[in-house]
Amino acid sequence: MIRYILLGILFIIGMYALIFHRSVIKKVIALGIVNTSVVLLFIISGSSIGDAPAFTGEQGARMVDPMVQALMLTAIVIGVCITSFSLALIVHLWGRFETFDIDTIEKRGDDES
Amino acid sequence: MKMKTAAVHVIVIFALVLLAGCLFIPDDTPWPTDVRTRLVSDGEKDTGAKNLVSAIYLAYRAFDTLGETIVLIVAIIGTMSVVESVKKISDDPTTAVTYDFSLVKEKRSSHKLRTHLLEVVTGKIGPVVLLFGFYVMGQGHISPGGGFQGGTIIASGIMLFILGNPYSKVTEMRQNKILSTIEASAFVLFILVSLLSILTSGIFFSNPLEAAGVKYEYYIIALNALIGLKVGSGISLMCIAMMSRRRT
Repeated sequence: MIRYILLGILFIIGMYALIFHRSVIKKVIALGIVNTSVVLLFIISGSSIGDAPAFTGEQGARMVDPMVQALMLTAIVIGVCITSFSLALIVHLWGRFETFDIDTIEKRGDDES
Repeated sequence: MKMKTAAVHVIVIFALVLLAGCLFIPDDTPWPTDVRTRLVSDGEKDTGAKNLVSAIYLAYRAFDTLGETIVLIVAIIGTMSVVESVKKISDDPTTAVTYDFSLVKEKRSSHKLRTHLLEVVTGKIGPVVLLFGFYVMGQGHISPGGGFQGGTIIASGIMLFILGNPYSKVTEMRQNKILSTIEASAFVLFILVSLLSILTSGIFFSNPLEAAGVKYEYYIIALNALIGLKVGSGISLMCIAMMSRRRT
């Protein structure tokens, strides 16, 4: 039970930073934290039926669920894609406004239009 | 104004706690074990892979992996095109954009993080990391690892290599053309390999050389190698695009 509560706290930290931090770089890091907490939720749920690694061998009955790990591989790859594309957009924003502060970017964008 | 912001913070944190409670506190239903039982009894017989995660993502759910690689390639295309199109307001548009990791000596003092120490250390570590990446990629079916994991290690090896050898021929690799050619050809080969089995056995993503006596294991190794090359070149391409672009 304590593991799920800790994961919930991790999720809250990520969402809080995603909403309230003003630096766009930190928002991307927060997105990564949220992604990690959800991936860990699945991994921990899958390990509730065993504790041995997902290999064939004598530990068959104690093995974790390999299905969840294969699914989380997809989730991790999608997370990498999201991180890289948002960093590219941040490079674009830096080139245009030369700041990472989201409020300043919004204000300068309003001034321009 | 301050009070109002604090109130918003409290409300949002409260909502997040409720949301996390719904997401992260599980009910009492036990986790199903049918998939594990089936995989433990049949997984290695069907695919020849001791690593059951590899058995799932390259044999039972290989179609999913194809989608995954397409997502990755779309993300790389998007990232590259956005980064390439960046123009700084303060930039002089007449100077050319260069891709270069090394800094000439007179610029060293202004970039304190790019030192000789960094170059010496990364130059020595780079080849070892690259070799380890190929090991993880090739042994994905019998040990922890696989195409995606090995690919990211290869990408970090390439980055260390480029950081450590700024003056040698090796850094020709930083030219976008080589890496993007590797990536595109690995992707095309991946699709071709998956289509090849339609001609021989009529099933998408099955072993095309099964009649010739080639085990499914080797098919998994080939797919792992292609995915590893694709991921490694793609991720290092993005890193190079973001880290080395400057106007001279």
